[in-house]
Amino acid sequence: MDAGFYLQLLLNGIVIGVIYALVAMGLSLIFGVLEIVNFAHGEFYMLGAMLAYFLTMNMGLGYAATVVVVTAVAVCLGYVLYEALLASLEGGGFERSILLTLGLSMVLQNGAVFLFTTTPRMVQTSQSYVNLVVGDVRVSLMRVFALALGLLAFGALYLILYGTRIGRAMRGVAQNRDAALMVGIDPRAVSRLAVAIGIGLSGLAGAALAPVYAVHPLMGFSFVFKAFAIIIIGGLGNVAGAAVAAVALGMLESVIGGFLPLVMVDALVFSSMIAMLLLRPQGLFGRGVRV
Amino acid sequence: MRRMRLAVAVAALAALAHSGFAQSQEGPILIGASIPLTGGVSMFGQHSRWGAELAAAEANAKGGVLGRKIEIDFQDNRCNPAEAVKSVTQMLAEKKYVAIFDGLCSSAALAIMPLVERAGIPFVVANASATSIAERSGVGGNKWTFKVNPTDASMLDALVGWLDKEGKAGNIAFLGEDSDFGRAGSTGLENALKKRNLKLAGVDFFQKGNADFTPVLTKIKARKPGLLALYAVDADFQNAIRQWYGLGGGVPLTGRVLVDQVPKEIMESGFLDGTTSVQPYDPSVDTPGNKAFVEAFRKLHNVPPILVSFESYEAMKVLIDAIRRAGKADPAAIRDALVTTKMPSMLGTVIDFDDHNLAHNNAIILTIKGGKVVVLGMSKT
Repeated sequence: MDAGFYLQLLLNGIVIGVIYALVAMGLSLIFGVLEIVNFAHGEFYMLGAMLAYFLTMNMGLGYAATVVVVTAVAVCLGYVLYEALLASLEGGGFERSILLTLGLSMVLQNGAVFLFTTTPRMVQTSQSYVNLVVGDVRVSLMRVFALALGLLAFGALYLILYGTRIGRAMRGVAQNRDAALMVGIDPRAVSRLAVAIGIGLSGLAGAALAPVYAVHPLMGFSFVFKAFAIIIIGGLGNVAGAAVAAVALGMLESVIGGFLPLVMVDALVFSSMIAMLLLRPQGLFGRGVRV
Repeated sequence: MRRMRLAVAVAALAALAHSGFAQSQEGPILIGASIPLTGGVSMFGQHSRWGAELAAAEANAKGGVLGRKIEIDFQDNRCNPAEAVKSVTQMLAEKKYVAIFDGLCSSAALAIMPLVERAGIPFVVANASATSIAERSGVGGNKWTFKVNPTDASMLDALVGWLDKEGKAGNIAFLGEDSDFGRAGSTGLENALKKRNLKLAGVDFFQKGNADFTPVLTKIKARKPGLLALYAVDADFQNAIRQWYGLGGGVPLTGRVLVDQVPKEIMESGFLDGTTSVQPYDPSVDTPGNKAFVEAFRKLHNVPPILVSFESYEAMKVLIDAIRRAGKADPAAIRDALVTTKMPSMLGTVIDFDDHNLAHNNAIILTIKGGKVVVLGMSKT
């Protein structure tokens, strides 16, 4: 095996990791602020990809514009989701939240199967089959684009959380909901925004990955369970921890997949999660300050 | 008075039972089908349904069979053995079906086999390709299972024979889904190569629904095989083929490659030139029967048939033919009639079953040349 092989594995791992981070960050944010594990998160990612397919392939919209529209629609969906379903769970009801989001996941997934069938669809852009080649290392342009979107989304989220008043409010609600209310923060408004941003991120992930992976109603399933493992490893509700854990896991998966059977990769991911739960339940980066 | 009431109740039950029996003798002939209508391979389930329904519609248009219409009751198995068992158990409990049809996925078909054997009802496998289905049927033990499509082993033997003649069978890497389908593919290839004193250059499996293949494809590329045998379907196939292209695999594919599902851009780029595939069917097969089938299918569904639609169409015709020859809608009589099947296939052969209840139809060997799919020829399996 030459250096090109190792570099290729490393590059694949970084791309996969940032893709995981894109999905996991929204999940982590929602848990951080609302303490709700959103089992339907993967379905919003799938809906984002489906909408991206519809806009590019059926409506003829440009891909860049599609990413913006899909993210905006996902943010709106997040608002609706919060007001219609999640707001009723305020102040407890963790078990109810699991049942509710699991049920929502099934409705969305089977609804998509009913409406679109499970036929895989491919989003074709003018750049879909363009590859960047440096020596022996190759990567498709659309993967690089997804990587850039993932980094941009992380940067933007970090700025919102640590550089704005609304970010401080989110962190406040995450640390102590009652205390935040006492100092004049409206937890409902903050929660609504957190869900909107979280679902917006999953929509963005769907749009970013629609030209990379086949689009079909079951595509969210495989990602969301890995995202759960990532947010547990990174520290429940810790957005930065989730991002770092995602990239680390992506790279680990790629390196292991390059030497060991691929079927062992998932076993390794979930073994890491179990080990983390046993040895360091608060995750690598802790869950004290959640977002 | 109590005796009187009891007698009336018994008489009423007897009348009900008799009316049910009379209905089963005079209503439509019911066939139960267990296929994936939802889940990852439901696209194939849809095509299986369309193929079987077309065969039934054609028979019904000619007045049905034994003076009765053929009706197929499709139940969902999600390509999952547990769901297949559930759906078929329910159908068998109702005792109104004369045969069970398809299963579609190898794991599902293998799970159905013991159920039909216990119930004494014929099971006609149209699409599942695992060699073990035929190994366990007929003289292999299960007298009620009949496999109309060729096994992976027989198709791969035909393919490897052709590759060997071209001097291309010596360095094949295998990547397949971790299921009975994928495992049958690797075993079939290994056995076909072993007969020629050759072996696989590497074997890798992936879980169905896996989206990212770049780690394993990077590994395979680094091994520098001569050919890559890819056993993937549906979204897995689309993801794998695109990522292989993205990594500049530089190696043609072989095995049961779904050449009709390769993205146009990749196909036309010439990247896959030299790819060879063995399939039980290709819509371009030039026989009058196939042309009529393709036309009728397109007219109904606005899409061309795929191999699953063809296999279900022809397997349903085999079953309908057996019901006709049995002379009565009785499972045991239909089983006996299936054993003596001799029905012309659209692929130019005659479908009959060997002592493992396996039919040996032609397999189509395809290649990609200049960015286009070309039929190299047909080979008896």
